Amino acid sequence: MKVTFPYMGSTLVYRKLLEMLGHEPVSPPKPSQKTIDLGVKHSPEFACFPMKVIMGSYLEALEMGAEVILTSGGHGPCRAGFYGEMHKRILNNLGYHVDVWVFDSIKRDYATFMHHVKKLKGDNSWLKLWRILKLLYQVAKDMDQFEMQLQTKRAYEVKKGDCTRIWENIQQIYDGVNSEKDLDEARQRCQALIDGIAIVEVPEEQRIRIGIVGEIYVVMESAVNMKMEETLGGLGCEVRRGHYLSHWIENNMIPKPFSKSHEEEILKKGEKYIEIQIGGHAKETMGHIVDYYDQGFDGIIHLMPFGCLPELVSQSIMPKLMEDLGIPVLTIALDEQTGIANNLTRIEAFLDLIRNKKRNRRWKVS
Amino acid sequence: MRVGIPRGLLYHYYYPFWKTLFEELKAEVVVSGPTTKEVVNKGIEFSVPEICVPMKVFTGHVEQLVKDVDYVFIPRMVSIANKEYFCPKFMGLPDMIKYTVPGALHKILSPKIESDSDNISNPKFYREMKDILKISSWDLNRALKKAEKAWKRVRALSKNGYVLTDALDVFEGKKNLSQEPVFKNGEITIGLMGYVYDLYDPFISMDIIDKLKELNVNILTFEMLDERQIYDSIKFMRKKLFWTFSNKLLGAGYHFYHNPRVDGIIQVTAFGCGPDSMIGKIMELESGRFAKPFMTVRIDEHTGESHLQTRVEAFVDMIRRKKMVSGGVHHEGNLSLYGINTGL
Repeated sequence: MKVTFPYMGSTLVYRKLLEMLGHEPVSPPKPSQKTIDLGVKHSPEFACFPMKVIMGSYLEALEMGAEVILTSGGHGPCRAGFYGEMHKRILNNLGYHVDVWVFDSIKRDYATFMHHVKKLKGDNSWLKLWRILKLLYQVAKDMDQFEMQLQTKRAYEVKKGDCTRIWENIQQIYDGVNSEKDLDEARQRCQALIDGIAIVEVPEEQRIRIGIVGEIYVVMESAVNMKMEETLGGLGCEVRRGHYLSHWIENNMIPKPFSKSHEEEILKKGEKYIEIQIGGHAKETMGHIVDYYDQGFDGIIHLMPFGCLPELVSQSIMPKLMEDLGIPVLTIALDEQTGIANNLTRIEAFLDLIRNKKRNRRWKVS
Repeated sequence: MRVGIPRGLLYHYYYPFWKTLFEELKAEVVVSGPTTKEVVNKGIEFSVPEICVPMKVFTGHVEQLVKDVDYVFIPRMVSIANKEYFCPKFMGLPDMIKYTVPGALHKILSPKIESDSDNISNPKFYREMKDILKISSWDLNRALKKAEKAWKRVRALSKNGYVLTDALDVFEGKKNLSQEPVFKNGEITIGLMGYVYDLYDPFISMDIIDKLKELNVNILTFEMLDERQIYDSIKFMRKKLFWTFSNKLLGAGYHFYHNPRVDGIIQVTAFGCGPDSMIGKIMELESGRFAKPFMTVRIDEHTGESHLQTRVEAFVDMIRRKKMVSGGVHHEGNLSLYGINTGL
């Protein structure tokens, strides 16, 4: 069956999962202006940006022949959990008779969840499914670890664009991984590639580390956040993201007693500012900022889709948090206006501010 | 002890409950004044620009109150139905107000409401208030019982067709119960979909209710319907919305579509309202199937009224003409029958 899925970050893992289970994956193209235009045209005006882009991705995938849409659900109160239903209604209204498999929390609706799992599993044995999931989790973990290395190195690369090119390379290498044995080989090859990148040595006190936090889709998908990581890397900053695919898997798919979830710790750190989980990633956002502060980061970029319900709460509390911790935070709301000059100026000014602050502090000490 | 209740958001739904509760606990209840331009401006000053207008208005009301009272009552509304929630902004509201409105940090009274029905009188939600207000469990339970009764009386009025503004006036003794609900003998009936804090704040909704009254229109809102009616009409949805009041609105919306007495539906929504963006689209997609007119009116902190007046009048005129063609309503003086014939 031809199956498609939302485009978020590297789609390699979802694509491989479908492929290994014997489905025919239809990967939508990386979101482009065309995707956004299509999505905006068919979505409610005040739906948040991720919903519109994903809508566009689905439409493109359907044109490519997809018959089934695979997506994750949610149980609120963030709007994202309702996307599946909404997309289905809109697509049906447009005349596409597409099947949407929404994976909601297993606790909420066990029967539907298992029904979808069985359809996804097809004729494969449960053991095979388990092996595939295990392998892909390892792939996701490896790739995230390599991506983090690149996010650090990109700031100091001698030849601009090296890291981005190697990242493409790594994705290709992992595309060919089909067993545990391949995994070891791929790991070594990728590490060698990364070690081969020529970098400029920069003394520790001049290094700038920026954390990107916020809503998961706009943080992970570079096509909608104006290539934030590459932009920051190009301006000489080491970058870390608040969300990585492997973290998401750990937090959402591995049963609680077995996962030593990093997420729990993050949530605890956010508790002072937002007492309870209010949906989306608002509390995580606060927690991540405190966590990055503890790790000695120099600044935070907070990304949110325009009108995002949970992130508006975190944005409201941001001034207080900045005052408490003394860490600069730049909030950027993203929507279908894709002109980058305005935000680029803001980011450059933000980085100037951080550099000056750092330099002044150094002079005071010496 | 002075406890302030901001005149915004769920004030319009739970005021009788909260007022009775605090009066029974021997606290002096201070309610902020009606929404004015100044209140809105203060609200805008202390909130992020993108947030929806009811939140800004609420912030303005808190600012107005905070200097004069010992505590501002801002319950953390988490849920009032099983497996459903409030909009994330409600759930984070106490945090948001605490850190944005100057002077509010230590003055907020925010019991966490996690109920499985509209009735929020379970004493366990208010446990943390006992220490702060220095009251005994017995006092609290008794006050909650009374509050529940007062609130239920007002809900009953709503279900009899009184709009909330009138129902609250009756509760406060400003109006007599003997008066009939205002909206009974109009020529046409319009289903009004909107949250209580949008519809019943005359500043936010620009008095859309009075405007409809002047046009001799009956209105129906979600709080006038029976809970059963509302939930039955969205029973068919495999996955319902996550937000209780949005489910009520959507349920009411479907009920309006099914109810032959209702001639048209107007949705009043605040700019940037997340849940409403979903409801609006669903209603829009269904409008064709039921062949009933549906209109969305979007409001924000701007105060020009003429566009609203024009759109509401045009909508009502359209429905009137539609009914007239099918022989339902007598024509009004300024509408020519020939006009319609030539138009056809």
